[in-house]
Amino acid sequence: MPVTRLLYPLYQLGNPQLRIFRPKWFLTMVRPGTELPPDTAQFRVPMEMTKYDIKNYLENIYNVPVGAVRTRIQYGSNKKRNHLNQKVKKPDYKVAYVQLAQGQVFTFPDIFPEKESKPEEGSVEEMQNNFMEDEKQRQKPDPRRGGVTEWFGL
Amino acid sequence: MAARTRLPLLFPKNLPPFRHRKLVHTEVAVKEPQYPPIVPSRTAKSKSALLRQVQEHVQKICASPVEEKLSLITRIQRKKFMVYPQTFARNADRWYQHFTKTAYIPGLPEKFTQAPLKTTGVDQSPPAAARTTTALEIDDDAFRDIRSLVTRVILQEHWHINQRKTFLFREQEMVVGPFLRNLVTELTHSLSRFNPLLRLCSLDINPQVNFYWRRGQRIIPKGHRKGRQEPIRFQIDDKPNSQIRITQQLPQFTPMEASYAAEVPEITLAPNLMPMFRRQYDNNIFTGAKLPDPACYGHTQFHLVPDQYQRDRMARRQQSDQVEVFLRANALASLFAWTGAQAMYQGFWTFEDVTRPFASQAVITDGHFFSFFCYQLNTVALSVETDANNPRKNLLWGTESLRLYDNVQDGEVVGLNDDVIKLLVSFLMNQP
Repeated sequence: MPVTRLLYPLYQLGNPQLRIFRPKWFLTMVRPGTELPPDTAQFRVPMEMTKYDIKNYLENIYNVPVGAVRTRIQYGSNKKRNHLNQKVKKPDYKVAYVQLAQGQVFTFPDIFPEKESKPEEGSVEEMQNNFMEDEKQRQKPDPRRGGVTEWFGL
Repeated sequence: MAARTRLPLLFPKNLPPFRHRKLVHTEVAVKEPQYPPIVPSRTAKSKSALLRQVQEHVQKICASPVEEKLSLITRIQRKKFMVYPQTFARNADRWYQHFTKTAYIPGLPEKFTQAPLKTTGVDQSPPAAARTTTALEIDDDAFRDIRSLVTRVILQEHWHINQRKTFLFREQEMVVGPFLRNLVTELTHSLSRFNPLLRLCSLDINPQVNFYWRRGQRIIPKGHRKGRQEPIRFQIDDKPNSQIRITQQLPQFTPMEASYAAEVPEITLAPNLMPMFRRQYDNNIFTGAKLPDPACYGHTQFHLVPDQYQRDRMARRQQSDQVEVFLRANALASLFAWTGAQAMYQGFWTFEDVTRPFASQAVITDGHFFSFFCYQLNTVALSVETDANNPRKNLLWGTESLRLYDNVQDGEVVGLNDDVIKLLVSFLMNQP
Protein backbone atom coordinates (compact mmCIF):
# COMPACT_ATOMS: atom_id res chain seq x y z
CA MET A 1 0.00 0.00 0.00
CA PRO A 2 1.48 3.37 -0.92
CA VAL A 3 2.34 5.79 1.87
CA THR A 4 -0.50 8.31 2.21
CA ARG A 5 -0.59 11.39 4.33
CA LEU A 6 -2.82 11.06 7.33
CA LEU A 7 -5.08 14.09 7.68
CA TYR A 8 -7.30 14.57 10.65
CA PRO A 9 -10.87 15.73 9.90
CA LEU A 10 -10.15 19.44 9.53
CA TYR A 11 -12.34 21.71 11.62
CA GLN A 12 -13.92 24.77 10.04
CA LEU A 13 -16.21 27.33 11.66
CA GLY A 14 -19.71 25.87 11.79
CA ASN A 15 -18.66 22.21 11.76
CA PRO A 16 -20.08 19.99 14.48
CA GLN A 17 -17.94 19.35 17.52
CA LEU A 18 -15.24 16.77 16.86
CA ARG A 19 -15.88 13.70 18.93
CA ILE A 20 -13.97 10.46 19.16
CA PHE A 21 -15.69 7.34 20.46
CA ARG A 22 -13.67 4.29 21.48
CA PRO A 23 -10.27 5.81 20.76
CA LYS A 24 -7.43 3.58 19.66
CA TRP A 25 -5.03 5.31 22.04
CA PHE A 26 -3.67 3.81 25.22
CA LEU A 27 -1.90 5.67 27.98
CA THR A 28 0.83 4.14 30.09
CA MET A 29 1.49 5.55 33.52
CA VAL A 30 5.17 5.38 34.46
CA ARG A 31 7.22 6.03 37.55
CA PRO A 32 8.95 9.39 37.16
CA GLY A 33 12.72 9.26 36.84
CA THR A 34 13.27 12.46 38.83
CA GLU A 35 11.30 13.78 41.74
CA LEU A 36 8.06 15.48 40.61
CA PRO A 37 5.68 17.73 42.60
CA PRO A 38 3.08 15.69 44.51
CA ASP A 39 0.16 16.60 42.26
CA THR A 40 1.87 15.49 39.04
CA ALA A 41 1.64 12.12 37.29
CA GLN A 42 3.76 11.02 34.34
CA PHE A 43 2.38 9.15 31.33
CA ARG A 44 3.71 7.75 28.09
CA VAL A 45 1.20 8.63 25.43
CA PRO A 46 0.99 7.95 21.70
CA MET A 47 2.63 10.53 19.50
CA GLU A 48 -0.59 11.65 17.86
CA MET A 49 -2.25 12.74 21.09
CA THR A 50 -2.37 16.42 21.96
CA LYS A 51 -2.70 18.10 25.34
CA TYR A 52 -6.43 18.57 24.85
CA ASP A 53 -6.77 14.92 23.82
CA ILE A 54 -5.03 13.75 26.98
CA LYS A 55 -7.16 16.02 29.15
CA ASN A 56 -10.43 14.87 27.61
CA TYR A 57 -9.30 11.23 27.67
CA LEU A 58 -8.53 11.26 31.38
CA GLU A 59 -11.55 13.30 32.36
CA ASN A 60 -14.14 11.38 30.37
CA ILE A 61 -12.89 7.81 30.57
CA TYR A 62 -11.26 7.76 33.97
CA ASN A 63 -13.04 10.67 35.73
CA VAL A 64 -9.72 12.20 36.77
CA PRO A 65 -9.88 16.00 37.30
CA VAL A 66 -7.04 17.36 35.21
CA GLY A 67 -5.57 20.81 35.89
CA ALA A 68 -2.79 21.19 33.36
CA VAL A 69 -0.99 18.96 30.89
CA ARG A 70 2.49 19.48 29.53
CA THR A 71 3.98 17.20 26.89
CA ARG A 72 7.36 16.56 25.38
CA ILE A 73 8.71 14.09 22.84
CA GLN A 74 11.55 11.88 23.96
CA TYR A 75 13.95 11.00 21.19
CA GLY A 76 14.98 7.33 21.19
CA SER A 77 18.63 6.94 20.34
CA ASN A 78 19.84 5.69 16.99
CA LYS A 79 23.38 5.08 18.13
CA LYS A 80 23.41 1.42 19.09
CA ARG A 81 24.53 -1.03 16.49
CA ASN A 82 23.65 -4.68 16.17
CA HIS A 83 25.88 -7.59 15.27
CA LEU A 84 25.69 -6.60 11.61
CA ASN A 85 26.92 -3.08 12.48
CA GLN A 86 23.57 -1.62 11.45
CA LYS A 87 22.17 1.19 13.49
CA VAL A 88 19.28 0.16 15.69
CA LYS A 89 16.73 2.83 16.48
CA LYS A 90 14.95 2.87 19.81
CA PRO A 91 11.46 4.21 19.13
CA ASP A 92 10.54 7.78 20.07
CA TYR A 93 7.71 8.34 22.51
CA LYS A 94 5.74 11.22 23.93
CA VAL A 95 5.73 11.91 27.67
CA ALA A 96 2.91 13.83 29.33
CA TYR A 97 3.10 15.43 32.77
CA VAL A 98 -0.42 15.78 34.11
CA GLN A 99 -1.13 18.08 37.05
CA LEU A 100 -4.24 17.09 38.94
CA ALA A 101 -6.88 19.64 39.89
CA GLN A 102 -8.84 20.10 43.11
CA GLY A 103 -5.78 19.69 45.29
CA GLN A 104 -5.45 15.97 44.64
CA VAL A 105 -2.17 14.27 45.31
CA PHE A 106 -0.67 11.20 43.68
CA THR A 107 2.40 9.09 44.38
CA PHE A 108 3.46 6.24 42.19
CA PRO A 109 2.91 3.01 44.14
CA ASP A 110 5.57 0.41 44.84
CA ILE A 111 4.75 -2.37 42.40
CA PHE A 112 7.50 -4.77 43.43
CA PRO A 113 7.63 -4.78 47.22
CA GLU A 114 10.31 -6.77 49.05
CA LYS A 115 8.87 -10.07 50.17
CA GLU A 116 10.06 -11.74 53.36
CA SER A 117 9.61 -15.37 52.32
CA LYS A 118 10.30 -18.02 54.89
CA PRO A 119 10.86 -21.51 53.46
CA GLU A 120 8.45 -24.09 54.81
CA GLU A 121 9.40 -26.59 57.51
CA GLY A 122 11.42 -29.66 56.49
CA SER A 123 12.10 -28.44 52.97
CA VAL A 124 15.38 -28.42 51.11
CA GLU A 125 15.68 -24.59 51.10
CA GLU A 126 15.41 -24.40 54.84
CA MET A 127 18.15 -26.98 55.36
CA GLN A 128 20.36 -25.15 52.86
CA ASN A 129 19.75 -21.81 54.62
CA ASN A 130 20.62 -23.31 57.99
CA PHE A 131 23.79 -24.88 56.56
CA MET A 132 24.88 -21.57 55.04
CA GLU A 133 24.27 -19.75 58.30
CA ASP A 134 26.37 -22.32 60.20
CA GLU A 135 29.22 -21.93 57.74
CA LYS A 136 29.14 -18.14 58.08
CA GLN A 137 29.11 -18.51 61.84
CA ARG A 138 32.18 -20.71 61.63
CA GLN A 139 34.10 -18.16 59.55
CA LYS A 140 33.61 -15.34 62.08
CA PRO A 141 36.45 -14.78 64.57
CA ASP A 142 36.15 -15.62 68.25
CA PRO A 143 33.90 -12.98 69.86
CA ARG A 144 35.71 -13.36 73.16
CA ARG A 145 38.79 -11.74 71.62
CA GLY A 146 36.89 -8.47 71.27
CA GLY A 147 37.72 -7.66 67.65
CA VAL A 148 41.47 -8.28 67.98
CA THR A 149 42.74 -10.44 65.09
CA GLU A 150 44.62 -13.73 65.38
CA TRP A 151 47.81 -12.04 64.15
CA PHE A 152 48.38 -10.73 67.67
CA GLY A 153 49.32 -14.02 69.29
CA LEU A 154 47.69 -14.80 72.65
CA MET B 1 85.11 36.32 86.01
CA ALA B 2 86.72 37.92 88.99
CA ALA B 3 90.13 38.21 87.35
CA ARG B 4 88.77 39.94 84.27
CA THR B 5 86.81 42.67 86.01
CA ARG B 6 88.65 45.72 87.07
CA LEU B 7 87.30 46.66 90.41
CA PRO B 8 88.34 49.83 92.25
CA LEU B 9 90.46 49.48 95.36
CA LEU B 10 87.77 50.70 97.61
CA PHE B 11 84.94 48.43 96.60
CA PRO B 12 81.78 50.11 97.81
CA LYS B 13 79.43 47.86 99.66
CA ASN B 14 76.33 49.31 98.31
CA LEU B 15 76.89 49.74 94.69
CA PRO B 16 74.89 52.63 93.38
CA PRO B 17 72.29 51.37 91.01
CA PHE B 18 72.17 52.30 87.39
CA ARG B 19 75.90 52.72 87.08
CA HIS B 20 76.03 51.94 83.45
CA ARG B 21 73.51 53.88 81.54
CA LYS B 22 73.68 51.59 78.63
CA LEU B 23 72.24 48.76 80.75
CA VAL B 24 69.22 50.86 81.66
CA HIS B 25 66.13 51.10 79.52
CA THR B 26 65.68 54.82 79.45
CA GLU B 27 62.99 54.73 76.82
CA VAL B 28 59.64 53.09 77.11
CA ALA B 29 59.55 49.36 76.54
CA VAL B 30 59.73 48.72 72.84
CA LYS B 31 56.39 47.51 71.48
CA GLU B 32 55.94 44.09 69.97
CA PRO B 33 56.60 44.21 66.25
CA GLN B 34 53.35 44.55 64.31
CA TYR B 35 53.09 41.81 61.75
CA PRO B 36 50.40 42.02 59.07
CA PRO B 37 47.37 39.74 59.70
CA ILE B 38 47.78 36.17 58.58
CA VAL B 39 45.24 35.62 55.84
CA PRO B 40 45.01 32.94 53.21
CA SER B 41 46.47 33.67 49.84
CA ARG B 42 44.43 35.41 47.22
CA THR B 43 45.70 33.77 44.07
CA ALA B 44 46.40 30.19 45.14
CA LYS B 45 44.36 27.32 43.76
CA SER B 46 42.71 26.50 47.07
CA LYS B 47 39.32 26.74 48.72
CA SER B 48 40.51 29.30 51.26
CA ALA B 49 41.83 31.50 48.46
CA LEU B 50 38.42 31.34 46.81
CA LEU B 51 36.73 32.25 50.08
CA ARG B 52 39.06 35.17 50.51
CA GLN B 53 38.32 36.39 46.99
CA VAL B 54 34.59 36.20 47.68
CA GLN B 55 35.01 38.06 50.98
CA GLU B 56 37.04 40.78 49.37
CA HIS B 57 34.46 41.17 46.62
CA VAL B 58 31.70 41.46 49.23
CA GLN B 59 33.69 44.08 51.17
CA LYS B 60 34.33 45.99 47.98
CA ILE B 61 30.61 46.08 47.23
CA CYS B 62 29.77 47.14 50.79
CA ALA B 63 32.22 50.00 50.63
CA SER B 64 31.06 51.49 47.33
CA PRO B 65 28.24 54.03 46.76
CA VAL B 66 24.78 52.87 45.76
CA GLU B 67 25.10 53.16 41.99
CA GLU B 68 28.31 51.21 41.96
CA LYS B 69 26.80 48.66 44.30
CA LEU B 70 23.94 48.05 41.92
CA SER B 71 26.20 47.79 38.92
CA LEU B 72 28.59 45.42 40.70
CA ILE B 73 25.76 43.16 41.85
CA THR B 74 24.08 43.00 38.45
CA ARG B 75 27.26 42.96 36.39
CA ILE B 76 27.76 39.32 35.53
CA GLN B 77 25.12 37.72 33.34
CA ARG B 78 24.29 34.08 33.92
CA LYS B 79 21.35 31.80 33.28
CA LYS B 80 18.53 32.67 35.65
CA PHE B 81 14.91 31.79 36.22
CA MET B 82 12.38 34.30 34.95
CA VAL B 83 9.65 34.77 37.54
CA TYR B 84 6.50 36.04 35.88
CA PRO B 85 4.08 37.64 38.32
CA GLN B 86 1.14 36.70 36.07
CA THR B 87 1.95 33.06 35.57
CA PHE B 88 -0.07 30.20 34.16
CA ALA B 89 1.49 27.64 36.53
CA ARG B 90 -0.75 25.96 39.06
CA ASN B 91 -0.28 26.58 42.79
CA ALA B 92 2.22 29.27 41.92
CA ASP B 93 1.75 31.15 45.17
CA ARG B 94 3.35 28.39 47.27
CA TRP B 95 6.37 28.27 44.98
CA TYR B 96 6.73 32.06 44.97
CA GLN B 97 6.45 32.16 48.74
CA HIS B 98 9.37 29.79 48.94
CA PHE B 99 11.49 31.77 46.47
CA THR B 100 10.91 35.08 48.23
CA LYS B 101 10.69 33.80 51.84
CA THR B 102 7.25 35.29 52.33
CA ALA B 103 4.51 34.23 54.69
CA TYR B 104 0.92 34.80 53.64
CA ILE B 105 -1.55 36.19 56.18
CA PRO B 106 -5.19 36.25 55.08
CA GLY B 107 -6.97 39.52 55.73
CA LEU B 108 -5.45 42.96 55.99
CA PRO B 109 -3.13 44.33 58.71
CA GLU B 110 -4.64 45.95 61.80
CA LYS B 111 -4.30 49.40 60.33
CA PHE B 112 -7.07 48.66 57.83
CA THR B 113 -9.25 46.39 59.95
CA GLN B 114 -9.18 48.55 63.07
CA ALA B 115 -10.34 51.63 61.24
CA PRO B 116 -13.22 49.90 59.51
CA LEU B 117 -13.73 52.53 56.86
CA LYS B 118 -15.86 54.77 58.99
CA THR B 119 -16.41 58.29 57.85
CA THR B 120 -17.89 60.74 60.31
CA GLY B 121 -21.65 60.55 60.23
CA VAL B 122 -22.17 57.51 58.03
CA ASP B 123 -24.02 54.78 59.85
CA GLN B 124 -22.55 51.38 59.32
CA SER B 125 -23.83 47.90 60.15
CA PRO B 126 -24.85 47.22 63.80
CA PRO B 127 -21.91 45.22 65.17
CA ALA B 128 -19.93 48.42 65.61
CA ALA B 129 -19.51 47.79 69.32
CA ALA B 130 -16.99 45.07 68.60
CA ARG B 131 -14.93 47.28 66.31
CA THR B 132 -12.96 50.27 67.48
CA THR B 133 -14.10 53.12 65.30
CA THR B 134 -11.50 55.64 64.36
CA ALA B 135 -12.77 58.03 61.79
CA LEU B 136 -11.12 58.34 58.41
CA GLU B 137 -9.62 61.69 57.79
CA ILE B 138 -12.11 62.53 55.08
CA ASP B 139 -15.57 63.77 55.83
CA ASP B 140 -18.93 62.74 54.51
CA ASP B 141 -19.14 65.25 51.67
CA ALA B 142 -15.75 64.26 50.39
CA PHE B 143 -16.78 60.62 50.47
CA ARG B 144 -19.90 61.37 48.50
CA ASP B 145 -17.77 63.24 45.99
CA ILE B 146 -15.52 60.26 45.67
CA ARG B 147 -18.47 57.94 45.23
CA SER B 148 -19.82 60.08 42.42
CA LEU B 149 -16.35 60.19 40.91
CA VAL B 150 -16.20 56.41 40.85
CA THR B 151 -19.64 56.13 39.25
CA ARG B 152 -18.62 58.71 36.67
CA VAL B 153 -15.50 56.75 35.75
CA ILE B 154 -17.44 53.49 35.49
CA LEU B 155 -20.15 55.03 33.36
CA GLN B 156 -17.62 56.78 31.13
CA GLU B 157 -15.94 53.53 30.27
CA HIS B 158 -18.93 51.24 30.03
CA TRP B 159 -21.83 53.44 29.03
CA HIS B 160 -20.89 56.70 27.41
CA ILE B 161 -18.19 55.42 25.10
CA ASN B 162 -19.60 53.88 21.96
CA GLN B 163 -17.39 50.88 21.91
CA ARG B 164 -17.08 48.49 19.04
CA LYS B 165 -16.57 44.82 19.61
CA THR B 166 -13.13 44.36 21.17
CA PHE B 167 -10.46 42.17 19.62
CA LEU B 168 -10.21 38.61 20.79
CA PHE B 169 -8.49 38.35 24.19
CA ARG B 170 -7.82 42.06 24.31
CA GLU B 171 -10.87 43.15 26.21
CA GLN B 172 -9.05 43.78 29.46
CA GLU B 173 -6.38 45.81 27.80
CA MET B 174 -8.85 47.89 25.79
CA VAL B 175 -11.67 48.43 28.26
CA VAL B 176 -10.50 47.85 31.79
CA GLY B 177 -7.05 49.35 31.33
CA PRO B 178 -8.29 52.89 30.62
CA PHE B 179 -10.94 52.53 33.33
CA LEU B 180 -8.33 51.69 35.95
CA ARG B 181 -6.03 54.43 34.77
CA ASN B 182 -8.77 57.06 34.96
CA LEU B 183 -9.83 55.81 38.36
CA VAL B 184 -6.34 55.99 39.78
CA THR B 185 -5.54 59.42 38.41
CA GLU B 186 -8.82 60.96 39.51
CA LEU B 187 -8.73 59.40 42.97
CA THR B 188 -5.14 60.47 43.54
CA HIS B 189 -5.95 64.00 42.52
CA SER B 190 -9.04 64.30 44.69
CA LEU B 191 -7.41 62.72 47.74
CA SER B 192 -4.33 64.88 47.52
CA ARG B 193 -6.30 67.43 49.57
CA PHE B 194 -6.25 65.09 52.53
CA ASN B 195 -3.02 63.26 52.06
CA PRO B 196 -0.01 65.58 51.81
CA LEU B 197 2.11 62.74 50.48
CA LEU B 198 0.02 62.55 47.33
CA ARG B 199 0.79 66.15 46.51
CA LEU B 200 4.45 65.28 46.05
CA CYS B 201 3.92 61.85 44.64
CA SER B 202 4.84 60.52 41.24
CA LEU B 203 2.13 58.61 39.40
CA ASP B 204 3.55 56.26 36.76
CA ILE B 205 1.46 54.87 33.92
CA ASN B 206 2.67 51.50 32.55
CA PRO B 207 5.93 51.57 34.47
CA GLN B 208 8.51 48.83 34.56
CA VAL B 209 9.64 47.15 37.76
CA ASN B 210 12.58 44.74 37.76
CA PHE B 211 14.38 42.86 40.48
CA TYR B 212 17.22 40.35 40.52
CA TRP B 213 18.09 38.10 43.48
CA ARG B 214 19.64 34.77 44.39
CA ARG B 215 18.16 32.09 46.62
CA GLY B 216 19.14 28.52 47.27
CA GLN B 217 21.79 26.38 45.68
CA ARG B 218 21.92 23.56 43.21
CA ILE B 219 24.55 21.14 42.04
CA ILE B 220 25.52 21.67 38.42
CA PRO B 221 24.61 18.40 36.64
CA LYS B 222 26.67 18.68 33.47
CA GLY B 223 29.48 20.64 31.95
CA HIS B 224 32.98 21.56 32.97
CA ARG B 225 31.70 22.78 36.34
CA LYS B 226 29.90 19.54 37.09
CA GLY B 227 29.43 18.67 40.74
CA ARG B 228 29.96 22.19 42.08
CA GLN B 229 27.44 24.29 43.97
CA GLU B 230 25.82 27.15 42.15
CA PRO B 231 23.34 29.72 43.49
CA ILE B 232 19.92 29.79 41.82
CA ARG B 233 19.26 33.20 40.28
CA PHE B 234 15.84 34.78 39.72
CA GLN B 235 14.63 37.85 37.89
CA ILE B 236 11.22 39.50 37.96
CA ASP B 237 10.21 41.79 35.10
CA ASP B 238 6.87 43.29 35.93
CA LYS B 239 4.66 45.84 34.17
CA PRO B 240 1.89 47.07 36.48
CA ASN B 241 -0.91 49.18 35.07
CA SER B 242 0.02 52.14 37.26
CA GLN B 243 1.85 52.89 40.48
CA ILE B 244 2.27 55.71 42.97
CA ARG B 245 5.73 56.53 44.28
CA ILE B 246 6.23 58.87 47.24
CA THR B 247 9.08 60.78 48.85
CA GLN B 248 8.71 59.36 52.35
CA GLN B 249 8.57 55.77 53.41
CA LEU B 250 5.31 54.16 54.51
CA PRO B 251 5.28 53.10 58.17
CA GLN B 252 5.60 49.41 58.94
CA PHE B 253 2.47 47.31 59.32
CA THR B 254 3.90 45.14 62.10
CA PRO B 255 7.30 45.16 63.85
CA MET B 256 9.95 42.97 62.29
CA GLU B 257 10.05 40.60 65.25
CA ALA B 258 6.45 39.61 64.63
CA SER B 259 7.53 37.90 61.43
CA TYR B 260 9.81 35.42 63.21
CA ALA B 261 6.88 33.16 64.00
CA ALA B 262 5.41 33.19 60.52
CA GLU B 263 5.56 30.07 58.37
CA VAL B 264 7.02 29.93 54.90
CA PRO B 265 6.32 26.82 52.79
CA GLU B 266 9.48 24.85 52.05
CA ILE B 267 9.79 23.27 48.64
CA THR B 268 12.74 21.00 48.00
CA LEU B 269 12.12 20.49 44.27
CA ALA B 270 13.91 22.46 41.59
CA PRO B 271 12.08 25.52 40.22
CA ASN B 272 11.88 24.20 36.65
CA LEU B 273 9.22 21.70 37.77
CA MET B 274 6.88 24.59 38.40
CA PRO B 275 7.23 25.11 35.30
CA MET B 276 9.68 27.99 35.22
CA PHE B 277 12.23 28.66 32.50
CA ARG B 278 15.81 29.89 32.48
CA ARG B 279 17.32 32.47 30.21
CA GLN B 280 20.34 34.73 30.26
CA TYR B 281 19.89 38.43 29.76
CA ASP B 282 20.50 41.75 31.48
CA ASN B 283 20.12 41.76 35.25
CA ASN B 284 17.98 44.78 36.08
CA ILE B 285 16.95 46.34 39.37
CA PHE B 286 14.46 49.13 38.81
CA THR B 287 11.63 50.61 40.92
CA GLY B 288 10.02 52.60 38.13
CA ALA B 289 12.38 55.55 38.22
CA LYS B 290 16.14 55.87 38.14
CA LEU B 291 18.28 56.24 41.23
CA PRO B 292 18.45 60.04 41.76
CA ASP B 293 14.64 60.37 41.76
CA PRO B 294 13.41 61.81 45.11
CA ALA B 295 10.24 59.73 45.01
CA CYS B 296 12.09 56.50 45.64
CA TYR B 297 9.69 54.84 48.08
CA GLY B 298 6.62 52.98 46.93
CA HIS B 299 3.03 53.55 47.95
CA THR B 300 0.54 51.60 45.83
CA GLN B 301 0.59 49.55 42.66
CA PHE B 302 -2.40 48.78 40.48
CA HIS B 303 -2.47 45.61 38.41
CA LEU B 304 -4.75 44.32 35.74
CA VAL B 305 -5.79 40.69 35.46
CA PRO B 306 -4.97 39.45 31.94
CA ASP B 307 -7.58 37.96 29.64
CA GLN B 308 -6.41 34.40 30.14
CA TYR B 309 -7.41 34.65 33.78
CA GLN B 310 -10.88 36.04 33.68
CA ARG B 311 -13.21 34.39 36.09
CA ASP B 312 -15.73 33.02 33.65
CA ARG B 313 -12.99 31.47 31.54
CA MET B 314 -11.55 29.73 34.57
CA ALA B 315 -15.01 28.64 35.68
CA ARG B 316 -15.63 27.04 32.29
CA ARG B 317 -12.52 24.96 32.79
CA GLN B 318 -13.49 24.10 36.39
CA GLN B 319 -10.44 25.85 37.78
CA SER B 320 -12.10 28.48 39.93
CA ASP B 321 -9.81 27.80 42.88
CA GLN B 322 -6.84 28.91 40.80
CA VAL B 323 -8.23 32.45 40.52
CA GLU B 324 -7.30 33.41 44.09
CA VAL B 325 -4.01 31.56 43.76
CA PHE B 326 -3.18 33.57 40.66
CA LEU B 327 -4.00 36.87 42.34
CA ARG B 328 -1.90 36.04 45.37
CA ALA B 329 1.06 34.96 43.26
CA ASN B 330 0.80 38.12 41.21
CA ALA B 331 0.72 40.39 44.26
CA LEU B 332 3.54 38.49 45.91
CA ALA B 333 5.92 38.66 42.99
CA SER B 334 5.14 42.26 42.03
CA LEU B 335 5.33 43.66 45.53
CA PHE B 336 8.45 41.70 46.42
CA ALA B 337 10.15 43.04 43.31
CA TRP B 338 9.07 46.60 44.07
CA THR B 339 10.03 46.63 47.77
CA GLY B 340 13.25 44.77 47.03
CA ALA B 341 14.20 47.32 44.40
CA GLN B 342 13.36 50.15 46.83
CA ALA B 343 15.63 48.56 49.44
CA MET B 344 18.42 48.13 46.90
CA TYR B 345 18.11 51.79 45.96
CA GLN B 346 18.78 52.63 49.61
CA GLY B 347 21.90 50.51 49.58
CA PHE B 348 20.66 47.33 51.30
CA TRP B 349 21.54 44.06 49.65
CA THR B 350 22.09 40.40 50.53
CA PHE B 351 25.07 40.98 52.80
CA GLU B 352 23.74 44.22 54.27
CA ASP B 353 20.26 43.40 55.40
CA VAL B 354 17.53 46.04 55.75
CA THR B 355 17.49 47.92 59.05
CA ARG B 356 13.90 49.10 58.68
CA PRO B 357 11.01 47.29 57.00
CA PHE B 358 9.81 48.50 53.60
CA ALA B 359 6.04 48.50 53.12
CA SER B 360 3.96 48.78 49.98
CA GLN B 361 0.43 48.09 48.82
CA ALA B 362 -1.19 46.72 45.70
CA VAL B 363 -4.65 46.48 44.20
CA ILE B 364 -5.35 43.83 41.58
CA THR B 365 -8.51 44.07 39.56
CA ASP B 366 -10.22 42.74 36.50
CA GLY B 367 -12.77 45.52 36.24
CA HIS B 368 -15.42 44.08 38.57
CA PHE B 369 -13.49 42.38 41.34
CA PHE B 370 -10.89 44.16 43.44
CA SER B 371 -8.33 42.44 45.67
CA PHE B 372 -6.20 44.39 48.11
CA PHE B 373 -2.72 43.32 49.20
CA CYS B 374 -0.15 44.73 51.64
CA TYR B 375 3.47 43.65 51.67
CA GLN B 376 6.20 44.21 54.21
CA LEU B 377 9.79 43.47 53.28
CA ASN B 378 11.79 42.52 56.39
CA THR B 379 14.77 40.88 54.81
CA VAL B 380 16.68 40.94 51.54
CA ALA B 381 19.23 38.40 52.74
CA LEU B 382 17.98 35.41 50.80
CA SER B 383 21.17 33.76 49.52
CA VAL B 384 22.51 30.61 51.14
CA GLU B 385 25.22 32.18 53.31
CA THR B 386 23.06 34.92 54.75
CA ASP B 387 19.86 32.93 55.09
CA ALA B 388 21.31 30.30 57.43
CA ASN B 389 20.61 32.20 60.66
CA ASN B 390 18.06 34.67 59.43
CA PRO B 391 14.81 34.40 61.41
CA ARG B 392 13.15 37.29 59.58
CA LYS B 393 10.51 36.62 56.97
CA ASN B 394 8.65 38.86 54.58
CA LEU B 395 4.90 39.20 55.03
CA LEU B 396 2.03 39.44 52.59
CA TRP B 397 -1.49 40.35 53.68
CA GLY B 398 -4.32 39.88 51.21
CA THR B 399 -8.07 39.90 50.87
CA GLU B 400 -10.38 37.81 48.81
CA SER B 401 -11.85 39.45 45.72
CA LEU B 402 -14.54 41.99 46.47
CA ARG B 403 -17.09 43.09 43.92
CA LEU B 404 -17.15 46.79 43.16
CA TYR B 405 -20.39 46.99 41.21
CA ASP B 406 -22.83 44.53 39.72
CA ASN B 407 -23.46 45.97 36.30
CA VAL B 408 -24.32 49.11 34.39
CA GLN B 409 -27.93 49.58 33.30
CA ASP B 410 -29.48 52.55 31.53
CA GLY B 411 -26.82 54.99 32.55
CA GLU B 412 -26.90 53.85 36.18
CA VAL B 413 -24.39 51.80 38.09
CA VAL B 414 -26.25 49.04 39.92
CA GLY B 415 -25.00 47.64 43.21
CA LEU B 416 -22.06 49.92 43.92
CA ASN B 417 -20.20 48.53 46.94
CA ASP B 418 -19.26 51.21 49.45
CA ASP B 419 -16.86 49.03 51.39
CA VAL B 420 -14.61 48.57 48.42
CA ILE B 421 -14.51 52.30 47.77
CA LYS B 422 -13.68 52.91 51.42
CA LEU B 423 -10.89 50.35 51.31
CA LEU B 424 -9.52 52.00 48.18
CA VAL B 425 -9.65 55.38 49.87
CA SER B 426 -7.98 54.12 53.03
CA PHE B 427 -5.28 52.50 50.93
CA LEU B 428 -4.56 55.76 49.18
CA MET B 429 -4.75 57.71 52.41
CA ASN B 430 -2.05 55.61 54.03
CA GLN B 431 0.61 57.99 55.31
CA PRO B 432 3.24 58.06 58.08
